[in-house]
Amino acid sequence: MLATSINQETGYVIVIALGLLWVALGLYWGRKAKDSEGFMLAGRNVGVSLGAATAMATWVTSNTMMVAPLLALKMGVWGMLAYACASFGLMLFAPLSMRIKKLLPDGFTSGDFFRHRYGRIGWSLFLVITLVYSITWLVTMAIAGGKLLETLGDIPYLQGMTLIMVVCVLYTIFGGLYAVIGTDFIQSLIILIGVVAIGVMVLFHLDMGETYEHVSTYQPSLLKVIMPVALLAFFNNMLFGFGEVFHNNVWWSRAYAMRDKVAPKAFFLSGILWFPIPIAAGFIALAAGPLGVNVTDPSKVGPDVAEHVLSQAGMGMAGGVLILVVLFCSIASSIDSLLAATSDLLVKDVYCGLFKKELNDRTFRKVATVAILLVAVVAWFLAISGLDLDVVLFSAGGLVASLIWPVIAGLFWKGCNRTLVLTGIVLGVIVGYYFYFEVETYTGALAGGAVSMLFTVLSYFIKPTPFPEPKPASPRVS
Amino acid sequence: MFSETFFYGLILLGLVWTGLGALALIVLLTRDWIKGTLW
Repeated sequence: MLATSINQETGYVIVIALGLLWVALGLYWGRKAKDSEGFMLAGRNVGVSLGAATAMATWVTSNTMMVAPLLALKMGVWGMLAYACASFGLMLFAPLSMRIKKLLPDGFTSGDFFRHRYGRIGWSLFLVITLVYSITWLVTMAIAGGKLLETLGDIPYLQGMTLIMVVCVLYTIFGGLYAVIGTDFIQSLIILIGVVAIGVMVLFHLDMGETYEHVSTYQPSLLKVIMPVALLAFFNNMLFGFGEVFHNNVWWSRAYAMRDKVAPKAFFLSGILWFPIPIAAGFIALAAGPLGVNVTDPSKVGPDVAEHVLSQAGMGMAGGVLILVVLFCSIASSIDSLLAATSDLLVKDVYCGLFKKELNDRTFRKVATVAILLVAVVAWFLAISGLDLDVVLFSAGGLVASLIWPVIAGLFWKGCNRTLVLTGIVLGVIVGYYFYFEVETYTGALAGGAVSMLFTVLSYFIKPTPFPEPKPASPRVS
Repeated sequence: MFSETFFYGLILLGLVWTGLGALALIVLLTRDWIKGTLW
């Protein structure tokens, strides 16, 4: 337990108070969701402020706050920059979002795109990849939430994790994407202001000259300009980021939800907003040595240094509260998005698409609620299973990077050889995993993406067939 | 090696940029609210 850890009672009070706030807002905003478009896509009318904030907040996860300092500790300046370049995925999704709205103006999910462009086989392959990835991401967030409450608030893991999941499930069920986007805005402000507050306090307690001297003397590799493994991480992370953002329904649903001219501006802005966060959150790890913080668990170096500085600043329990609130917001802003986006895929693509069920606005809410609960229950069971899902998530670089080029080709080309593209996806996934486990962890996305790119480029030249004209993008709720 | 100026500058840039991001969101929200284009 950390020195600024809050007692269990305070931990429960904070989480329940925040939880009640989010649920109340979910109920309030949920009144706007009168039909399936309202519930799933917030009426397709989201403006630039809410759009940018929700994209940015969803991409800020507990990984951003905990892994950025870890990468800084392992790879120094390049570690922070490597993590920051994951923001390029959001920025580059801007032109894609423009094209998505033009190609599929009535679209609901990323599955609509894959079904239209790559047929049932491509659609099924895509659904397997994206559901596996999304559920894994969701589970790692749930686990992170449970561990956070256990470390900072002395709340037993099972209870803390369950509490966070229940809160997120409730406001997502009550308010759909309206609740998710609305709470994301508040959470994004808390995250940004909290990161700056902690970073500034660390800076006040550091003599930068001494810090630089300490790092250059005892950890000179952290300041190297030419650092091959860091450069590898830089580009691998970049491709990983592209793959995650380009394929996942979390971002496609937001593209559909924003007004036409807003989507590209909002995504580009969200990337700009996100870029400095790993630097602002990560640099405090480099202060560990100069401040004399004994780092026993590198994965907790960020909170360890933060609590040390906040203790020195005399903040005591308030410091723990600040860290808890910022991390809770970063986790909740991702969990709600994943619940909403993954359940949308289950409703539209699996229930309506694969099982060919019809829904009206009355029955839609029931099915959507069941889908959200199903996703949450599966995630909950996996979160208590003890499986090391961080490995599953971080090894998935090849899995998602294999979808980058098929998405780009499907959006911007007039046709291609579908068989080659789908072969490239499968081979890219296999090669990506092989490189991750057998060669080096920072090569999975690069290798998988390269294989998929090769096959996608070949598909342009070898017996391409035109894509069919866009039709109504998904089985509609009548 | 990255210089001390670059090191310090990067950290300051990160913090200032993050802070300005929060400010930008508040300004944009206010503008959208006034224009009635929130959602």
